[in-house]
Amino acid sequence: MTKLRLEITKGEEIRYISHLDYARTMERALRRSKMPVAYSEGFNPHMKMSFASALSVGVTSEAEYMEVELSKPVSAEKVFAALAHQLPPTIAIKRVKEVVGKQKALMAMVNLAVYKIVMPWHGDQMEYVAKDAVSRFNRTETVLYVKENPKGNREIDIKKYIAEAVEVVVGPKGAELSMVVWITPQGSVKPSEVLKVLVEDFAFPGSFEAALIKRSGLYVQIDHERLSPMEM
Amino acid sequence: MIKLDPSFMGKVIKPGRYTGNELNIVRKDPATTLASFALAFPDVYDVGMSNLGLKILYHILNQMSDVAAERVYAPWVDMELVMRQEGIPLYTLENMRPLAEFDVVGFTLQYELSYTNILNMLDLADIPLLASQRSAQHSLVIAGGPCAFNAEPLADFVDFFVLGDGEETIKDVAHAVIEWKRSGKAGGKAEILARVAAIEGVYVPAFYDPIYHADGRMAAVTANHPAAKTPVNKRIVRDLDGAEYPNKPVVPYLDVIHDRVMLELFRGCTRGCRFCQAGVIYRPVRERQPQTLLKLAQELVDNTGYDEISLTSLSSADYSCLNNLVESLIERFKNQGVSVSLPSLRVDSFSIKLAQEVQKVRKSGLTFAPEAGTQRLRDVINKGVTEKNLEEAVGAAFQAGWSTVKLYFMIGLPTETDDDVRGIADIAYKVLDLYKTIKGRRGAKVTVSVSSFVPKPHTAFQWYAQNDMVEIERKQQLLRSLLRDRNISFNWHDVKVSFLEGVFARGDRRLGKVLLSAWQQGAKFDGWSEHFRFDVWQEAFRQSGIDPAFYALRDREHNEVLPWDHLSSGVDKEFLLQEYRAALAGGLTVDCRRGMCGDCGVCSGLGVEVIDWGEGRNDKVTTGDY
Repeated sequence: MTKLRLEITKGEEIRYISHLDYARTMERALRRSKMPVAYSEGFNPHMKMSFASALSVGVTSEAEYMEVELSKPVSAEKVFAALAHQLPPTIAIKRVKEVVGKQKALMAMVNLAVYKIVMPWHGDQMEYVAKDAVSRFNRTETVLYVKENPKGNREIDIKKYIAEAVEVVVGPKGAELSMVVWITPQGSVKPSEVLKVLVEDFAFPGSFEAALIKRSGLYVQIDHERLSPMEM
Repeated sequence: MIKLDPSFMGKVIKPGRYTGNELNIVRKDPATTLASFALAFPDVYDVGMSNLGLKILYHILNQMSDVAAERVYAPWVDMELVMRQEGIPLYTLENMRPLAEFDVVGFTLQYELSYTNILNMLDLADIPLLASQRSAQHSLVIAGGPCAFNAEPLADFVDFFVLGDGEETIKDVAHAVIEWKRSGKAGGKAEILARVAAIEGVYVPAFYDPIYHADGRMAAVTANHPAAKTPVNKRIVRDLDGAEYPNKPVVPYLDVIHDRVMLELFRGCTRGCRFCQAGVIYRPVRERQPQTLLKLAQELVDNTGYDEISLTSLSSADYSCLNNLVESLIERFKNQGVSVSLPSLRVDSFSIKLAQEVQKVRKSGLTFAPEAGTQRLRDVINKGVTEKNLEEAVGAAFQAGWSTVKLYFMIGLPTETDDDVRGIADIAYKVLDLYKTIKGRRGAKVTVSVSSFVPKPHTAFQWYAQNDMVEIERKQQLLRSLLRDRNISFNWHDVKVSFLEGVFARGDRRLGKVLLSAWQQGAKFDGWSEHFRFDVWQEAFRQSGIDPAFYALRDREHNEVLPWDHLSSGVDKEFLLQEYRAALAGGLTVDCRRGMCGDCGVCSGLGVEVIDWGEGRNDKVTTGDY
């Protein structure tokens, strides 16, 4: 049994599709590629594939990771070529590697996400107000936020999931934020949630709904070493 | 080009409905094409993306190098609100182009209760609603699909209708539009309408005037233009096997209703169920060859990556080479992770064997449609299903391991008595008992789904007075009181919806003002219970001075001029009347596909023939096969 790990993207054009839709799109691309993908046994066979971390509706990504099992060995290069040919233009494939030896599931392995957020230009005072908001957020030890959920609301401390100080640069398009977030077995925080708090509680300028969010990296951080799943 | 901003896209549900970019879309530069079509489905993306007809037209038009076809669906109410607030006109998904820029906007008419959405979409597109208000500078608004066979309620809004198979007509229309544009639109809109009126299958309502008797009944529909044909015959593809078929359809990202390969085995169905409009308007049966289907199936799987092939047709189990086809498909695709499914089952044990074969893995419920509760009434509707057929089919299903059965019925059929209604409950209990007999224990689940019969134009029951709402509700109550077992679940339809459907199904041109008025008062998505507002419709009828009962609840005289008499499916009115009389007498008519020709008029009138690749077809046996 061969297991391959893929590094792929989610483009601007499909920003608004859900993780499930994204996964189905990959499944269909794999089927079109005619690679010998393995299926589960049982009543309702499904393709043996898994993702590192679900991406929210509205978020693009430069670093999505998925694993797929093959029933026959095929080289990573061959799968790359076959799949590159079958992906819609909205998804790019960057790297493929064979998973050698026993490794944890992708989902259990990845523990850190980096997001880039562009908040559209919002007045002449944007730079000053934005930097002030971010620095106050960074200095605050505990930032409580109520995660809304149909099954009941839950209060979390956002700062527990913030791995590094949030950074902000203001350019001609607006403010560009960088956010590094822990993904833990107990949960994580969405970049949109952090942004909402920044706007509503720290007076960050602009409307959080207008922001463009991109996941620029997903990592495995062990002590001070930050590795891409492709380097594991 | 329309730009969508995240500040409002984040607020609507399923924003992926509005952003396009799907696999296999065809995006042409508008500057390089001579004619552009916006293919519109008057309901949400999830529903519209499941429609085979539009996929066919999209494929055929885009195969033409100088024509572009793009898609548009009705935005859901949340997106409509955003679009109105932000001043975004309705646009197509390929090039995000405003609809008003297209030469032709074509709607498919699948259901009467989607008509308000057509008005709403035109309004959102800034296209004048009334055909009379549109000049040569505006888009031509056209429509096709089953409801076009009674085009009259939409006659005020649509420039022309396309009757029957669209494969060839749409090309003729495209050529006519190109020539007209090349001439600098010489002669204006009147000229293009005259040109298309000459095309077989095209109906231009402005070229006809309805005349009414003092009592409101129709006296005549007279042509007022030399290009107007009387009647307008439907168009028909004689050689379906050779017809173009969309082998590279757009694959949605979203989970749409029918999200699988649709393989159309054949068109038409001549079982002759007397309530069924599709069985008339798609006549005669024309099958594709098994090898054509296998080739198409492979191309479709290769081009889409779907994991399921659905064998779609009006009655797929009647395909002459079904066994071989299913076996070949399963054999070929089992190692490609692709399964085969049949959307409809015949009520017999043959179908169960087939269902077992195609659904080896899934034991989800099986659906059967006896349609009526007693043999007498099934004979009236010419549904060739006996109690024994049903028993055998359900028994075979239980033996094969199924335990959930869904049964479809109608109430309000001609000659129906309360005994027939009670018969529905009897069947449900018999099915439960059968399970107990076979399995030695209880445990079957039966869903009884009962719709209210709506008489449709071009059927044997087109003269029949639909049961009124009180009567249907009474029958529903009767069934509710009888179906009290916890292993039986009972579904029924909103009587108000069926009533309105009945009014528009057999309506005439005077309903246009009702439609407009209802839409102005907020009616839209009438087919969705959460948006259906009967009070709005009642008010619209009142304001327009129109009694809806006149259309739905009146027994029509056999010699009465019907609003759709000038639109021909090829089936003679006399044949339908003969079928109506046979129905009242409980007489059966056999399927002409393999049995005796019933002389309905289609083949002789339109110069077509039944195409069935099964053995013995040409022997013209004189008995039915069911």
